[in-house]
Amino acid sequence: MNLLAVEMKNVNVYIGNRHILKDVTLKIPSNTVFVIMGPSGSGKTTLLRVINRLIDLIEDARVEGYVKVLGFDIMKSDPYELRKYIGMVFQIPNPFPHLTIYENIAIAAKINGVAKDKKELDNIVRWALEKAMLWDEVRNRLHDYPHQLSGGQRQRLCLARALAMKPKLLLLDEPTANIDPVNARKLEEAIVSLKDEVTVIMVTHSPYQAARVADYVAVLYDGKVVEQGPAQQLFLRPSTEITQKLLRGEM
Amino acid sequence: MYNWRKLIDKLFTYMVIAVSIVAISPVIHLIITVLLNGTMVIVKTGINFFISLPPTPFSKDFGGIAPAIVGSLLMTFISLPITIVLGLFAAILTTEFPKNTISIVIDTIAKSLASIPTIAVSMIVYTIIVVPMRSFSALAGSIALTIVSLPYAYTYFSTTLRSVPFIYREAAFSIAMSRWSTVLKILIPVVRRGIVTAILMTLVRILGETAALLFTAGRFRNGVTISPLAPADAIPLLIFDFVLSPYEIWRQVAWGASALLLLSYMVIFFTVKFLVKEVKL
Amino acid sequence: MLSRKDKLFFMSLLPLSLSLLAILIISIAVIGIRSIDSISFFGSKLYTMNVWDPEAEVYGLLAPIAGSIVTSVIAILTASFFSIPLTITIAEYLKGSTKNIVSSIVELMGGLPTIIYAVWASQYLVPFLKQYVMDPLYSYLSFIPLFSCKPITGFSVLAAGISIGISITPYVTALILEAYQSIPSIYREACYGIGATRYESIKILLSLARPAIIAALVLGFARSLGETTIAVATIGNSMNLNLCLFSPSYTVSALIASQFANAYLYPYAESVLYAGMLILVIISILLSLYGSTTIIRWRSRVIV
Repeated sequence: MNLLAVEMKNVNVYIGNRHILKDVTLKIPSNTVFVIMGPSGSGKTTLLRVINRLIDLIEDARVEGYVKVLGFDIMKSDPYELRKYIGMVFQIPNPFPHLTIYENIAIAAKINGVAKDKKELDNIVRWALEKAMLWDEVRNRLHDYPHQLSGGQRQRLCLARALAMKPKLLLLDEPTANIDPVNARKLEEAIVSLKDEVTVIMVTHSPYQAARVADYVAVLYDGKVVEQGPAQQLFLRPSTEITQKLLRGEM
Repeated sequence: MYNWRKLIDKLFTYMVIAVSIVAISPVIHLIITVLLNGTMVIVKTGINFFISLPPTPFSKDFGGIAPAIVGSLLMTFISLPITIVLGLFAAILTTEFPKNTISIVIDTIAKSLASIPTIAVSMIVYTIIVVPMRSFSALAGSIALTIVSLPYAYTYFSTTLRSVPFIYREAAFSIAMSRWSTVLKILIPVVRRGIVTAILMTLVRILGETAALLFTAGRFRNGVTISPLAPADAIPLLIFDFVLSPYEIWRQVAWGASALLLLSYMVIFFTVKFLVKEVKL
Repeated sequence: MLSRKDKLFFMSLLPLSLSLLAILIISIAVIGIRSIDSISFFGSKLYTMNVWDPEAEVYGLLAPIAGSIVTSVIAILTASFFSIPLTITIAEYLKGSTKNIVSSIVELMGGLPTIIYAVWASQYLVPFLKQYVMDPLYSYLSFIPLFSCKPITGFSVLAAGISIGISITPYVTALILEAYQSIPSIYREACYGIGATRYESIKILLSLARPAIIAALVLGFARSLGETTIAVATIGNSMNLNLCLFSPSYTVSALIASQFANAYLYPYAESVLYAGMLILVIISILLSLYGSTTIIRWRSRVIV
């Protein structure tokens, strides 16, 4: 299925009376790692939340334009159905604090009907933890609570939770921003290994991280897409001044 | 110059601490005297205090406060669940849709309701329930208690729910949880300590309320009944009537009832403080 | 932006949530309607005269209204005398477990059923106040009109004011403490930065919190206006109107608590009591809205 995972045409987003995204047009191919770069406040996080309609949580947000995700016209479809196909990992690790490591992953699988019985559930939990490269560290403490894990481990737990839904699309919102470099590397490794099964859309402000993982890159500045294309091309021959500055770390 | 400033600083410190000690000494004196006077009555009466009818002004035995205990339990049993459900629904609405006009209206109304004197609630329920039904009743009392405690329950619940970090709400939605499961399986369990505290604090409000019952519950002390439609007594109501009465024996019984009420309050308070397990974020 | 399921969720919460609105509307409507009879019959005299004569069908609520206000003023003075130092002690001087114990005691006081305060105040506090406050004040300062009458039983406006003041101290303390502690630490650091002593920096922080403190006192005042059980148990319950704080009197709620049960026997008595409550409810609601919006506005200004 080498179609587009996400297609946006002239998307505008307003929160209250602030104009956050301006005429965004994007094409994100399936089974790639697509990185969105940009300085803070450029609208990266908002863009990600349009895709799974988490933006609905912001009461005074308004979305205009055409967005197609995995074949759904998302403005016309049920966001709760849509979200079953889209996993997400956030800037701050947010495993559910009242659930054990096991339950955190199991709950995602159960909601989406991925597992039928206890045995299947066990298998999915193990599979997700392995994919997130966390299994070896937690295999003997599945019934511990997340606060007993380190920050980096918690973030990989969140990745495992997202994977347990067996998503077709994975959204990552600066997933390594709040964890140490060693854990960040492990997470990156896990991400790259995933692209056979899912399309990954990742937001980051680090050009180095983008260079390590990206197949495609889009640069966002002040709510507008200033440049997008295959990663190599964009890194070698950035066509706008904003991208050049961003790559030099001047932004 | 410098020493002068230092001296004022010292004097100020001593004065502030002295006044603070004076400020909390009444409650310590209160707890000691109520418990001393009250437990003496309870100990002298023994089990009868809990299962007998109140004395007549001229009897020799203290008797007991069974009708008040049963009445308080009955009205709490009716009113607490209603209050919790109404308060929780309203709190969920205003925390899930904080910018919606209806939420803002409800939030403001809760504040206004909390400021209505509880005796006014008693008069209102008297007009709309007691008069049409031609009788005081535990039901009327329970309705008055619900009205009085609802704004508090709402405030406890909404403060608690609002303290759930936004990141958990996002996490729940990102794994395609529905609105209701997010509330029931994530938001409420994450702050379960706060929710239990809110329920217990509402319980305390209901158990200790006096004025709302004055013209609603009736003061049926000649027997024990558990019919919601019959007049009932309540512990605070009995204390109110007996402590202001001219009869020494009634005042003694009022001490006993006060000690019982104070003890139940303190047990609930310390349960909240020490026993409810908190979720580590 | 709401999806169809979000709207359904909203609608499923709406009916029960509106109970608060319904209660408020019904409450005000009932009190208003039941007041109409007496207000239209007696007019403004109802609030400007001082009589309670059911047999002659003449009523004037001036004494209890004045009693409510004077009692609440004394209560709020008492509460501010206690709660501001208590706030400073908890926020500035105590640490670790002592801080925990003291703030727990304040919390414990705050939730205590008022009937318990009423019992304690009527049996211990009132005699104590008579002996150690009222009698000496009368002996030495009786030329001041406020202290000009001989305290007989001790049950009086002053006793009620102080008793209610003690009972609302934890509430007011909690409000002030919350405001005081929410002042960002940069201000505190700025105070020490200019070489202020503890006392001087507390003074600066308190003046920064002044609007919130005043709002807290307004909320405390509203709460004392409606207090019933403690008032009935300590004010002496008599239709008196004079300047002396040692004489027994009524508050509106105390009058209702003592007279409402038999009021149905007389044509206008019930309605008069509803009319008294109407005034109280309106004042309480306005004050509490003022107080809570002031605190919210102050917070949004101080905490950036």
